[in-house]
Amino acid sequence: MGIERFERAGWGSRVFDAINLLFLLLLMLTMIIPFLNVISLSLSSGVASMQPDIILLPKDFSFEGYKIIWTSLDIWRPFVNSVTVTVTGTLLHVLLSSLAGYVLVHPHVPGKKLMITFILITMMIPQEAVLIPLYVVNKDLHLINTLSVLVLSGLVSGFSILLMRNFFLSIPYEIAESAKIDGAGEFWVFGAIYMRLATAGLATVTLFEFVRRWNMFTEPLVFINDSMKYTLQLALKSMIVDTSATSSTYMVTTNVKMAGIIIAILPLIAIYPFVQRFFMKGILLGASKE
Amino acid sequence: MLKTWRKYGALYLMMIPVICYFLVYGYYPLARGLQISFQDYRLIGNRPYIGFDNYGTVWHDPNFWKSLTNTLVIGGGSLVCGFLAPLIIALSLNEVLKSWFKKTAQMLLYVPHLLSWVVVGGMWIYLLSPDTGLVNLLLQRTLDIPPVHFLAESGWARVVMILVATWKDMGYNCILFLAGIVAINPSLYEAARLDGATRWQQVRYVTLPQIQSTMKVVLLLNTLGLLRIFDQVFILRNNSTAPDVDVLMYYTYQKGILDFHVGVAAAASVLVLIFTLLLTLIVRKLTRFDEV
Repeated sequence: MGIERFERAGWGSRVFDAINLLFLLLLMLTMIIPFLNVISLSLSSGVASMQPDIILLPKDFSFEGYKIIWTSLDIWRPFVNSVTVTVTGTLLHVLLSSLAGYVLVHPHVPGKKLMITFILITMMIPQEAVLIPLYVVNKDLHLINTLSVLVLSGLVSGFSILLMRNFFLSIPYEIAESAKIDGAGEFWVFGAIYMRLATAGLATVTLFEFVRRWNMFTEPLVFINDSMKYTLQLALKSMIVDTSATSSTYMVTTNVKMAGIIIAILPLIAIYPFVQRFFMKGILLGASKE
Repeated sequence: MLKTWRKYGALYLMMIPVICYFLVYGYYPLARGLQISFQDYRLIGNRPYIGFDNYGTVWHDPNFWKSLTNTLVIGGGSLVCGFLAPLIIALSLNEVLKSWFKKTAQMLLYVPHLLSWVVVGGMWIYLLSPDTGLVNLLLQRTLDIPPVHFLAESGWARVVMILVATWKDMGYNCILFLAGIVAINPSLYEAARLDGATRWQQVRYVTLPQIQSTMKVVLLLNTLGLLRIFDQVFILRNNSTAPDVDVLMYYTYQKGILDFHVGVAAAASVLVLIFTLLLTLIVRKLTRFDEV
Protein backbone atom coordinates (compact mmCIF):
# COMPACT_ATOMS: atom_id res chain seq x y z
CA MET A 1 0.00 0.00 0.00
CA GLY A 2 2.88 2.31 0.86
CA ILE A 3 4.69 1.87 -2.42
CA GLU A 4 1.58 2.49 -4.44
CA ARG A 5 1.03 5.71 -2.60
CA PHE A 6 4.52 6.88 -3.43
CA GLU A 7 4.05 6.14 -7.10
CA ARG A 8 0.89 8.16 -7.19
CA ALA A 9 2.32 10.93 -5.04
CA GLY A 10 2.12 14.13 -7.00
CA TRP A 11 3.29 17.57 -6.03
CA GLY A 12 0.20 18.36 -3.95
CA SER A 13 0.45 15.10 -2.13
CA ARG A 14 4.04 15.79 -1.16
CA VAL A 15 3.16 19.23 0.19
CA PHE A 16 0.42 17.61 2.22
CA ASP A 17 2.88 15.07 3.65
CA ALA A 18 5.26 17.84 4.63
CA ILE A 19 2.55 19.85 6.38
CA ASN A 20 1.27 16.75 8.10
CA LEU A 21 4.74 15.89 9.38
CA LEU A 22 5.27 19.45 10.57
CA PHE A 23 1.97 19.32 12.46
CA LEU A 24 2.97 16.12 14.23
CA LEU A 25 6.42 17.46 15.07
CA LEU A 26 4.92 20.59 16.61
CA LEU A 27 2.53 18.41 18.58
CA MET A 28 5.42 16.32 19.87
CA LEU A 29 7.21 19.50 20.89
CA THR A 30 4.28 20.38 23.17
CA MET A 31 5.16 17.15 25.01
CA ILE A 32 8.96 17.38 24.86
CA ILE A 33 9.46 21.03 25.81
CA PRO A 34 7.46 21.02 29.08
CA PHE A 35 9.26 17.88 30.29
CA LEU A 36 12.65 19.19 29.21
CA ASN A 37 11.92 22.40 31.06
CA VAL A 38 10.91 20.60 34.25
CA ILE A 39 13.89 18.21 34.19
CA SER A 40 16.37 21.03 33.55
CA LEU A 41 14.90 23.17 36.31
CA SER A 42 15.13 20.29 38.79
CA LEU A 43 18.85 19.99 37.98
CA SER A 44 19.56 23.71 38.24
CA SER A 45 20.63 25.61 41.32
CA GLY A 46 17.99 27.31 43.44
CA VAL A 47 18.95 30.82 42.34
CA ALA A 48 19.14 29.94 38.64
CA SER A 49 15.77 28.19 38.74
CA MET A 50 14.02 31.29 40.04
CA GLN A 51 15.17 33.55 37.21
CA PRO A 52 12.81 34.43 34.37
CA ASP A 53 14.73 32.47 31.76
CA ILE A 54 13.79 29.94 29.16
CA ILE A 55 15.60 26.93 30.60
CA LEU A 56 15.82 23.84 28.40
CA LEU A 57 19.20 22.69 29.71
CA PRO A 58 20.25 22.66 33.39
CA LYS A 59 21.63 26.04 34.36
CA ASP A 60 24.30 26.07 37.04
CA PHE A 61 23.98 22.25 37.30
CA SER A 62 23.38 20.86 40.80
CA PHE A 63 21.43 18.20 42.68
CA GLU A 64 20.50 20.75 45.32
CA GLY A 65 16.78 20.47 44.58
CA TYR A 66 16.75 16.70 45.08
CA LYS A 67 18.83 16.96 48.25
CA ILE A 68 16.55 19.55 49.80
CA ILE A 69 13.27 17.84 48.98
CA TRP A 70 14.51 14.39 50.05
CA THR A 71 16.19 15.27 53.34
CA SER A 72 15.18 18.75 54.54
CA LEU A 73 11.57 18.47 53.42
CA ASP A 74 11.45 14.76 54.36
CA ILE A 75 9.78 13.61 51.21
CA TRP A 76 11.27 10.16 51.80
CA ARG A 77 8.47 9.45 54.29
CA PRO A 78 5.56 10.01 51.88
CA PHE A 79 7.62 8.20 49.26
CA VAL A 80 7.92 5.13 51.50
CA ASN A 81 4.19 5.35 52.32
CA SER A 82 3.34 5.46 48.63
CA VAL A 83 5.58 2.50 47.85
CA THR A 84 4.07 0.48 50.72
CA VAL A 85 0.49 1.19 49.74
CA THR A 86 1.11 0.73 46.03
CA VAL A 87 2.98 -2.56 46.31
CA THR A 88 0.71 -4.18 48.93
CA GLY A 89 -2.45 -2.96 47.27
CA THR A 90 -1.39 -4.03 43.80
CA LEU A 91 -0.37 -7.54 44.89
CA LEU A 92 -3.64 -8.11 46.76
CA HIS A 93 -5.65 -6.63 43.90
CA VAL A 94 -4.05 -8.93 41.35
CA LEU A 95 -4.45 -12.01 43.56
CA LEU A 96 -8.11 -11.42 44.44
CA SER A 97 -9.09 -10.40 40.91
CA SER A 98 -7.37 -13.48 39.49
CA LEU A 99 -9.14 -15.77 41.97
CA ALA A 100 -12.53 -14.36 40.99
CA GLY A 101 -11.63 -14.41 37.31
CA TYR A 102 -10.63 -18.08 37.65
CA VAL A 103 -13.96 -19.01 39.23
CA LEU A 104 -15.83 -17.43 36.30
CA VAL A 105 -13.91 -19.53 33.79
CA HIS A 106 -15.72 -22.68 34.88
CA PRO A 107 -18.72 -23.29 32.65
CA HIS A 108 -20.93 -25.15 35.10
CA VAL A 109 -20.62 -23.48 38.51
CA PRO A 110 -24.13 -23.03 39.93
CA GLY A 111 -24.88 -19.32 40.44
CA LYS A 112 -22.34 -18.13 37.90
CA LYS A 113 -24.80 -15.79 36.16
CA LEU A 114 -25.68 -14.26 39.52
CA MET A 115 -22.02 -13.69 40.34
CA ILE A 116 -21.37 -11.99 37.00
CA THR A 117 -24.38 -9.70 37.42
CA PHE A 118 -23.25 -8.91 40.96
CA ILE A 119 -19.83 -7.86 39.62
CA LEU A 120 -21.18 -5.94 36.62
CA ILE A 121 -23.43 -3.81 38.84
CA THR A 122 -20.44 -2.69 40.93
CA MET A 123 -18.83 -1.46 37.72
CA MET A 124 -21.74 0.87 37.11
CA ILE A 125 -21.45 2.65 40.48
CA PRO A 126 -19.21 5.68 39.95
CA GLN A 127 -16.68 5.69 42.81
CA GLU A 128 -16.86 9.47 43.06
CA ALA A 129 -20.59 9.41 43.76
CA VAL A 130 -20.10 7.23 46.86
CA LEU A 131 -17.11 9.16 48.20
CA ILE A 132 -19.02 10.69 51.12
CA PRO A 133 -20.69 7.44 52.28
CA LEU A 134 -17.32 5.68 51.85
CA TYR A 135 -15.86 8.22 54.25
CA VAL A 136 -18.62 7.42 56.74
CA VAL A 137 -18.13 3.65 56.32
CA ASN A 138 -14.38 3.94 56.83
CA LYS A 139 -14.94 6.14 59.84
CA ASP A 140 -17.25 3.53 61.37
CA LEU A 141 -14.56 0.91 60.76
CA HIS A 142 -11.96 3.18 62.42
CA LEU A 143 -9.87 3.21 59.27
CA ILE A 144 -9.55 6.96 58.75
CA ASN A 145 -5.89 8.05 58.92
CA THR A 146 -4.47 4.58 58.39
CA LEU A 147 -2.56 3.30 55.39
CA SER A 148 -4.90 0.27 55.35
CA VAL A 149 -7.73 2.43 54.09
CA LEU A 150 -5.66 3.21 51.00
CA VAL A 151 -4.86 -0.46 50.43
CA LEU A 152 -8.56 -1.26 50.80
CA SER A 153 -9.87 1.34 48.38
CA GLY A 154 -10.14 -0.36 45.04
CA LEU A 155 -8.92 -3.68 46.46
CA VAL A 156 -10.79 -5.52 43.71
CA SER A 157 -12.46 -4.19 40.60
CA GLY A 158 -14.92 -5.67 38.18
CA PHE A 159 -12.70 -4.43 35.38
CA SER A 160 -9.68 -6.47 36.56
CA ILE A 161 -11.80 -9.55 37.24
CA LEU A 162 -13.23 -9.52 33.72
CA LEU A 163 -9.82 -8.77 32.22
CA MET A 164 -8.26 -11.75 34.05
CA ARG A 165 -11.18 -13.96 33.08
CA ASN A 166 -10.62 -12.98 29.47
CA PHE A 167 -6.97 -14.01 29.64
CA PHE A 168 -7.82 -17.24 31.50
CA LEU A 169 -10.40 -18.15 28.86
CA SER A 170 -7.64 -18.40 26.27
CA ILE A 171 -6.15 -21.32 28.24
CA PRO A 172 -7.71 -24.62 27.06
CA TYR A 173 -10.16 -25.79 29.72
CA GLU A 174 -9.17 -29.43 29.06
CA ILE A 175 -5.85 -28.82 30.85
CA ALA A 176 -7.69 -27.99 34.06
CA GLU A 177 -10.07 -30.89 33.63
CA SER A 178 -7.37 -33.48 33.12
CA ALA A 179 -5.39 -32.14 36.06
CA LYS A 180 -8.49 -32.49 38.24
CA ILE A 181 -9.03 -36.07 37.06
CA ASP A 182 -5.47 -36.74 38.22
CA GLY A 183 -6.56 -35.53 41.65
CA ALA A 184 -5.42 -31.91 41.65
CA GLY A 185 -7.41 -29.45 43.77
CA GLU A 186 -8.82 -26.14 42.54
CA PHE A 187 -6.17 -24.08 44.31
CA TRP A 188 -3.39 -26.13 42.74
CA VAL A 189 -4.89 -25.80 39.27
CA PHE A 190 -5.28 -22.07 39.81
CA GLY A 191 -1.75 -21.51 41.12
CA ALA A 192 0.26 -23.96 39.11
CA ILE A 193 -1.54 -23.85 35.76
CA TYR A 194 -3.61 -20.72 35.31
CA MET A 195 -1.38 -18.20 37.07
CA ARG A 196 1.65 -19.53 35.20
CA LEU A 197 0.07 -19.57 31.78
CA ALA A 198 -1.56 -16.15 32.02
CA THR A 199 1.54 -14.06 32.64
CA ALA A 200 0.54 -11.50 30.00
CA GLY A 201 -2.77 -11.01 31.79
CA LEU A 202 -1.07 -10.72 35.17
CA ALA A 203 1.36 -8.18 33.78
CA THR A 204 -1.45 -6.10 32.29
CA VAL A 205 -3.55 -5.99 35.45
CA THR A 206 -0.47 -5.38 37.63
CA LEU A 207 0.61 -2.43 35.50
CA PHE A 208 -2.85 -0.86 35.39
CA GLU A 209 -3.21 -1.19 39.13
CA PHE A 210 0.32 0.01 39.88
CA VAL A 211 -0.22 3.19 37.89
CA ARG A 212 -3.66 3.78 39.38
CA ARG A 213 -2.42 3.33 42.93
CA TRP A 214 0.73 5.35 42.49
CA ASN A 215 -1.34 8.25 41.14
CA MET A 216 -4.24 7.88 43.59
CA PHE A 217 -5.19 11.30 44.91
CA THR A 218 -8.85 11.69 45.87
CA GLU A 219 -8.86 8.80 48.35
CA PRO A 220 -5.79 9.89 50.35
CA LEU A 221 -7.08 13.47 50.27
CA VAL A 222 -10.38 12.46 51.85
CA PHE A 223 -9.28 9.61 54.14
CA ILE A 224 -5.89 10.87 55.37
CA ASN A 225 -5.12 14.08 57.22
CA ASP A 226 -2.22 13.00 59.42
CA SER A 227 0.91 14.27 57.63
CA MET A 228 2.88 11.20 58.81
CA LYS A 229 0.57 9.07 56.65
CA TYR A 230 0.69 11.35 53.61
CA THR A 231 1.32 9.69 50.27
CA LEU A 232 3.70 11.20 47.74
CA GLN A 233 0.87 12.79 45.74
CA LEU A 234 -0.59 14.47 48.82
CA ALA A 235 2.80 15.70 49.99
CA LEU A 236 3.58 17.06 46.53
CA LYS A 237 0.23 18.80 46.40
CA SER A 238 0.98 20.68 49.60
CA MET A 239 4.59 21.39 48.60
CA ILE A 240 4.12 22.41 44.99
CA VAL A 241 0.62 23.70 44.70
CA ASP A 242 0.00 25.40 48.02
CA THR A 243 3.45 26.89 48.43
CA SER A 244 2.33 28.90 51.42
CA ALA A 245 1.60 25.70 53.35
CA THR A 246 5.25 24.71 53.54
CA SER A 247 7.46 25.33 56.54
CA SER A 248 8.14 28.98 57.14
CA THR A 249 11.92 28.56 57.43
CA TYR A 250 12.18 27.37 53.85
CA MET A 251 11.35 29.34 50.79
CA VAL A 252 10.70 26.47 48.43
CA THR A 253 12.62 27.27 45.28
CA THR A 254 11.50 26.12 41.85
CA ASN A 255 14.26 23.52 41.51
CA VAL A 256 13.00 21.80 44.68
CA LYS A 257 9.41 21.68 43.40
CA MET A 258 10.48 20.34 40.03
CA ALA A 259 12.66 17.71 41.74
CA GLY A 260 9.51 16.60 43.57
CA ILE A 261 7.66 16.24 40.29
CA ILE A 262 10.51 14.20 38.79
CA ILE A 263 10.61 11.90 41.83
CA ALA A 264 6.88 11.21 41.38
CA ILE A 265 7.39 10.49 37.67
CA LEU A 266 10.43 8.20 37.94
CA PRO A 267 8.71 4.94 39.00
CA LEU A 268 6.24 5.36 36.14
CA ILE A 269 9.00 6.00 33.61
CA ALA A 270 10.81 2.92 34.94
CA ILE A 271 7.86 0.71 34.05
CA TYR A 272 7.04 2.48 30.78
CA PRO A 273 8.78 -0.09 28.53
CA PHE A 274 6.52 -2.78 30.02
CA VAL A 275 3.53 -0.51 29.77
CA GLN A 276 4.16 -0.28 26.05
CA ARG A 277 4.09 -4.03 25.72
CA PHE A 278 1.04 -4.83 27.80
CA PHE A 279 -0.98 -1.65 28.24
CA MET A 280 -2.09 -1.14 24.69
CA LYS A 281 -3.77 -4.52 24.53
CA GLY A 282 -5.35 -3.94 27.93
CA ILE A 283 -6.71 -0.55 26.90
CA LEU A 284 -8.36 -2.03 23.84
CA LEU A 285 -9.81 -4.94 25.81
CA GLY A 286 -11.07 -2.52 28.43
CA ALA A 287 -12.72 -0.22 25.93
CA SER A 288 -14.45 -3.07 24.15
CA LYS A 289 -15.86 -4.21 27.48
CA GLU A 290 -17.87 -1.04 28.03
CA MET B 1 -26.54 -29.86 47.82
CA LEU B 2 -23.69 -31.61 49.58
CA LYS B 3 -22.48 -32.90 46.24
CA THR B 4 -22.45 -29.41 44.75
CA TRP B 5 -20.49 -28.17 47.71
CA ARG B 6 -17.94 -30.95 47.43
CA LYS B 7 -17.50 -30.29 43.76
CA TYR B 8 -17.52 -26.48 43.74
CA GLY B 9 -16.77 -25.60 47.37
CA ALA B 10 -13.22 -24.49 46.63
CA LEU B 11 -14.46 -22.20 43.88
CA TYR B 12 -17.02 -20.54 46.16
CA LEU B 13 -14.26 -20.14 48.73
CA MET B 14 -12.22 -18.27 46.12
CA MET B 15 -15.14 -15.96 45.42
CA ILE B 16 -15.90 -15.12 49.05
CA PRO B 17 -13.32 -12.34 49.58
CA VAL B 18 -14.43 -10.57 46.42
CA ILE B 19 -18.10 -10.79 47.34
CA CYS B 20 -17.44 -9.55 50.87
CA TYR B 21 -15.40 -6.66 49.55
CA PHE B 22 -18.05 -5.58 47.06
CA LEU B 23 -20.77 -5.81 49.70
CA VAL B 24 -18.85 -3.64 52.18
CA TYR B 25 -17.24 -1.18 49.75
CA GLY B 26 -19.63 -1.24 46.80
CA TYR B 27 -23.25 -1.95 47.68
CA TYR B 28 -23.33 -0.90 51.32
CA PRO B 29 -21.94 2.64 50.76
CA LEU B 30 -24.50 3.15 48.00
CA ALA B 31 -27.35 2.20 50.36
CA ARG B 32 -25.77 4.09 53.24
CA GLY B 33 -25.40 7.19 51.08
CA LEU B 34 -29.07 7.05 50.19
CA GLN B 35 -29.95 6.66 53.87
CA ILE B 36 -27.71 9.53 55.01
CA SER B 37 -29.20 11.81 52.37
CA PHE B 38 -32.50 11.63 54.28
CA GLN B 39 -30.88 12.09 57.71
CA ASP B 40 -29.64 14.96 59.80
CA TYR B 41 -26.20 13.39 60.08
CA ARG B 42 -24.27 14.14 63.27
CA LEU B 43 -21.06 12.64 64.56
CA ILE B 44 -22.51 11.72 67.94
CA GLY B 45 -26.05 11.23 69.11
CA ASN B 46 -29.08 10.16 67.13
CA ARG B 47 -29.53 10.93 63.46
CA PRO B 48 -33.18 11.78 62.88
CA TYR B 49 -34.78 11.34 59.47
CA ILE B 50 -35.71 14.69 58.01
CA GLY B 51 -37.34 13.72 54.73
CA PHE B 52 -36.22 15.69 51.72
CA ASP B 53 -34.71 18.58 53.69
CA ASN B 54 -31.14 17.86 52.52
CA TYR B 55 -32.29 17.71 48.92
CA GLY B 56 -34.13 21.00 49.46
CA THR B 57 -30.96 22.60 50.82
CA VAL B 58 -28.99 21.47 47.78
CA TRP B 59 -31.75 22.41 45.36
CA HIS B 60 -31.99 25.96 46.70
CA ASP B 61 -28.22 26.46 46.96
CA PRO B 62 -27.09 28.74 44.11
CA ASN B 63 -23.57 27.31 44.48
CA PHE B 64 -24.86 23.88 43.52
CA TRP B 65 -26.30 25.19 40.25
CA LYS B 66 -23.19 27.21 39.64
CA SER B 67 -21.05 24.10 40.08
CA LEU B 68 -23.37 22.20 37.74
CA THR B 69 -22.89 24.89 35.09
CA ASN B 70 -19.12 24.78 35.61
CA THR B 71 -19.13 21.00 35.29
CA LEU B 72 -21.12 21.15 32.07
CA VAL B 73 -18.94 23.89 30.57
CA ILE B 74 -15.56 22.40 31.55
CA GLY B 75 -16.72 18.81 31.08
CA GLY B 76 -18.44 19.60 27.80
CA GLY B 77 -15.40 21.47 26.51
CA SER B 78 -13.11 18.61 27.51
CA LEU B 79 -15.52 16.19 25.86
CA VAL B 80 -15.45 18.01 22.52
CA CYS B 81 -11.69 18.75 22.51
CA GLY B 82 -10.88 15.35 23.97
CA PHE B 83 -12.77 13.76 21.09
CA LEU B 84 -11.65 15.92 18.16
CA ALA B 85 -7.95 16.31 19.04
CA PRO B 86 -7.14 12.57 19.24
CA LEU B 87 -9.25 11.90 16.13
CA ILE B 88 -7.32 14.46 14.09
CA ILE B 89 -4.00 13.19 15.46
CA ALA B 90 -4.89 9.58 14.70
CA LEU B 91 -5.89 10.45 11.12
CA SER B 92 -2.72 12.47 10.72
CA LEU B 93 -0.54 9.68 12.18
CA ASN B 94 -2.17 7.21 9.85
CA GLU B 95 -0.95 9.20 6.84
CA VAL B 96 2.67 8.84 8.01
CA LEU B 97 4.38 5.96 6.28
CA LYS B 98 7.44 5.54 8.47
CA SER B 99 6.42 3.20 11.27
CA TRP B 100 9.24 4.23 13.64
CA PHE B 101 8.00 7.81 13.53
CA LYS B 102 4.43 6.68 14.12
CA LYS B 103 5.46 4.58 17.11
CA THR B 104 7.63 7.28 18.64
CA ALA B 105 4.89 9.89 18.31
CA GLN B 106 2.30 7.57 19.81
CA MET B 107 4.60 6.66 22.70
CA LEU B 108 5.40 10.27 23.44
CA LEU B 109 1.80 11.47 23.28
CA TYR B 110 0.74 8.76 25.71
CA VAL B 111 3.15 9.75 28.51
CA PRO B 112 1.02 12.45 30.24
CA HIS B 113 -1.89 10.04 30.59
CA LEU B 114 0.27 7.88 32.86
CA LEU B 115 0.99 10.74 35.25
CA SER B 116 -1.15 11.95 38.13
CA TRP B 117 -3.04 15.23 38.12
CA VAL B 118 -0.75 16.48 40.88
CA VAL B 119 2.24 16.07 38.57
CA VAL B 120 0.56 17.38 35.43
CA GLY B 121 -1.16 20.19 37.33
CA GLY B 122 2.03 21.11 39.17
CA MET B 123 3.92 21.24 35.87
CA TRP B 124 1.37 23.48 34.20
CA ILE B 125 0.95 25.77 37.19
CA TYR B 126 4.64 26.44 36.83
CA LEU B 127 4.68 26.57 33.01
CA LEU B 128 1.79 29.05 32.98
CA SER B 129 3.00 31.25 35.81
CA PRO B 130 3.11 34.93 34.83
CA ASP B 131 6.72 35.82 35.73
CA THR B 132 8.90 32.77 35.27
CA GLY B 133 6.68 30.35 33.37
CA LEU B 134 7.84 29.09 30.01
CA VAL B 135 4.60 29.90 28.18
CA ASN B 136 4.58 33.55 29.20
CA LEU B 137 8.31 33.92 28.54
CA LEU B 138 7.83 32.55 25.02
CA LEU B 139 4.85 34.81 24.36
CA GLN B 140 6.79 37.77 25.66
CA ARG B 141 9.96 37.17 23.69
CA THR B 142 8.42 36.15 20.37
CA LEU B 143 5.20 38.16 20.18
CA ASP B 144 5.91 40.80 22.83
CA ILE B 145 2.72 40.00 24.72
CA PRO B 146 2.61 41.16 28.37
CA PRO B 147 2.39 38.36 30.99
CA VAL B 148 -1.01 36.67 31.12
CA HIS B 149 -2.30 35.36 34.45
CA PHE B 150 -3.66 32.17 32.91
CA LEU B 151 -4.68 30.52 36.17
CA ALA B 152 -5.87 33.61 38.02
CA GLU B 153 -8.06 35.30 35.40
CA SER B 154 -11.59 34.03 35.29
CA GLY B 155 -11.68 34.36 31.51
CA TRP B 156 -8.76 31.98 31.12
CA ALA B 157 -9.32 29.50 33.95
CA ARG B 158 -11.91 27.33 32.21
CA VAL B 159 -10.05 27.39 28.90
CA VAL B 160 -6.85 26.29 30.63
CA MET B 161 -8.71 23.47 32.42
CA ILE B 162 -10.03 22.17 29.11
CA LEU B 163 -6.73 22.51 27.26
CA VAL B 164 -4.62 20.85 29.96
CA ALA B 165 -7.12 17.98 30.22
CA THR B 166 -6.97 17.53 26.45
CA TRP B 167 -3.16 17.63 26.51
CA LYS B 168 -3.09 14.98 29.23
CA ASP B 169 -5.54 12.51 27.72
CA MET B 170 -5.30 12.84 23.95
CA GLY B 171 -2.65 10.10 23.64
CA TYR B 172 -5.01 7.61 25.26
CA ASN B 173 -7.97 8.12 22.94
CA CYS B 174 -5.57 8.35 20.01
CA ILE B 175 -4.63 4.71 20.64
CA LEU B 176 -8.29 3.70 20.46
CA PHE B 177 -8.84 5.58 17.20
CA LEU B 178 -5.66 4.19 15.62
CA ALA B 179 -6.69 0.66 16.55
CA GLY B 180 -10.00 1.29 14.81
CA ILE B 181 -8.26 2.62 11.71
CA VAL B 182 -5.81 -0.29 11.51
CA ALA B 183 -8.72 -2.73 11.63
CA ILE B 184 -10.27 -1.32 8.43
CA ASN B 185 -10.22 -3.77 5.53
CA PRO B 186 -7.45 -2.59 3.10
CA SER B 187 -9.50 -3.66 0.08
CA LEU B 188 -11.85 -0.76 0.77
CA TYR B 189 -8.99 1.66 0.13
CA GLU B 190 -7.97 -0.24 -2.99
CA ALA B 191 -11.47 0.00 -4.38
CA ALA B 192 -11.57 3.73 -3.54
CA ARG B 193 -8.26 4.29 -5.31
CA LEU B 194 -9.44 2.41 -8.39
CA ASP B 195 -12.39 4.78 -8.47
CA GLY B 196 -9.89 7.63 -8.44
CA ALA B 197 -10.48 8.85 -4.88
CA THR B 198 -7.96 11.39 -3.57
CA ARG B 199 -6.36 10.93 -0.17
CA TRP B 200 -8.80 13.35 1.39
CA GLN B 201 -11.72 11.51 -0.19
CA GLN B 202 -10.38 8.22 1.16
CA VAL B 203 -10.38 9.69 4.66
CA ARG B 204 -13.82 11.21 4.23
CA TYR B 205 -15.58 8.27 2.60
CA VAL B 206 -13.68 5.24 3.92
CA THR B 207 -11.83 5.92 7.17
CA LEU B 208 -14.36 8.10 8.99
CA PRO B 209 -17.45 5.96 8.30
CA GLN B 210 -15.49 2.81 9.12
CA ILE B 211 -14.45 3.94 12.61
CA GLN B 212 -17.90 5.05 13.68
CA SER B 213 -18.19 2.36 16.33
CA THR B 214 -14.84 3.38 17.84
CA MET B 215 -16.06 6.99 17.89
CA LYS B 216 -19.15 5.93 19.80
CA VAL B 217 -17.07 4.03 22.37
CA VAL B 218 -14.77 7.02 22.90
CA LEU B 219 -17.71 9.40 23.17
CA LEU B 220 -19.48 7.20 25.70
CA LEU B 221 -16.33 6.69 27.80
CA ASN B 222 -15.67 10.45 27.83
CA THR B 223 -19.26 11.23 28.76
CA LEU B 224 -19.09 8.89 31.74
CA GLY B 225 -16.08 10.85 32.99
CA LEU B 226 -17.72 14.24 32.50
CA LEU B 227 -19.42 14.57 35.88
CA ARG B 228 -16.51 12.99 37.75
CA ILE B 229 -13.95 15.76 37.19
CA PHE B 230 -12.31 16.45 40.51
CA ASP B 231 -8.53 15.98 40.87
CA GLN B 232 -7.83 18.38 38.03
CA VAL B 233 -9.99 21.15 39.47
CA PHE B 234 -8.71 20.56 42.98
CA ILE B 235 -5.12 21.05 41.80
CA LEU B 236 -5.59 23.92 39.36
CA ARG B 237 -8.20 25.98 41.20
CA ASN B 238 -7.48 28.93 43.42
CA ASN B 239 -9.61 31.41 45.28
CA SER B 240 -9.77 33.91 42.46
CA THR B 241 -11.05 31.40 39.89
CA ALA B 242 -13.15 29.26 42.25
CA PRO B 243 -16.56 30.62 41.10
CA ASP B 244 -15.76 29.68 37.49
CA VAL B 245 -14.20 26.28 37.98
CA ASP B 246 -15.58 24.60 41.12
CA VAL B 247 -17.36 21.52 39.80
CA LEU B 248 -20.03 19.24 41.26
CA MET B 249 -17.52 16.86 42.84
CA TYR B 250 -15.78 19.77 44.48
CA TYR B 251 -19.13 20.94 45.83
CA THR B 252 -19.74 17.53 47.47
CA TYR B 253 -16.18 17.43 48.81
CA GLN B 254 -16.53 20.89 50.29
CA LYS B 255 -19.93 20.22 51.84
CA GLY B 256 -19.09 16.75 53.16
CA ILE B 257 -15.44 16.84 54.16
CA LEU B 258 -14.58 20.51 54.73
CA ASP B 259 -17.87 21.80 56.18
CA PHE B 260 -18.98 18.39 57.51
CA HIS B 261 -22.57 18.73 56.32
CA VAL B 262 -22.54 15.03 55.51
CA GLY B 263 -26.28 14.77 54.91
CA VAL B 264 -26.27 17.61 52.39
CA ALA B 265 -23.20 16.18 50.65
CA ALA B 266 -24.86 12.76 50.44
CA ALA B 267 -27.94 14.33 48.87
CA ALA B 268 -25.74 16.12 46.34
CA SER B 269 -23.99 12.81 45.57
CA VAL B 270 -27.30 11.11 44.90
CA LEU B 271 -28.22 13.94 42.51
CA VAL B 272 -24.86 13.53 40.74
CA LEU B 273 -25.54 9.81 40.42
CA ILE B 274 -28.94 10.55 38.85
CA PHE B 275 -27.40 13.10 36.45
CA THR B 276 -24.79 10.52 35.42
CA LEU B 277 -27.46 7.94 34.66
CA LEU B 278 -29.50 10.47 32.67
CA LEU B 279 -26.48 11.65 30.71
CA THR B 280 -25.46 8.09 29.87
CA LEU B 281 -28.96 7.29 28.68
CA ILE B 282 -29.08 10.42 26.54
CA VAL B 283 -25.71 9.72 24.90
CA ARG B 284 -26.67 6.10 24.29
CA LYS B 285 -29.87 7.23 22.62
CA LEU B 286 -28.16 9.94 20.56
CA THR B 287 -25.38 7.69 19.28
CA ARG B 288 -27.71 4.69 19.01
CA PHE B 289 -24.99 2.86 20.87
CA ASP B 290 -26.88 -0.41 21.14
CA GLU B 291 -27.17 -0.73 17.38
CA VAL B 292 -23.43 -0.93 16.81
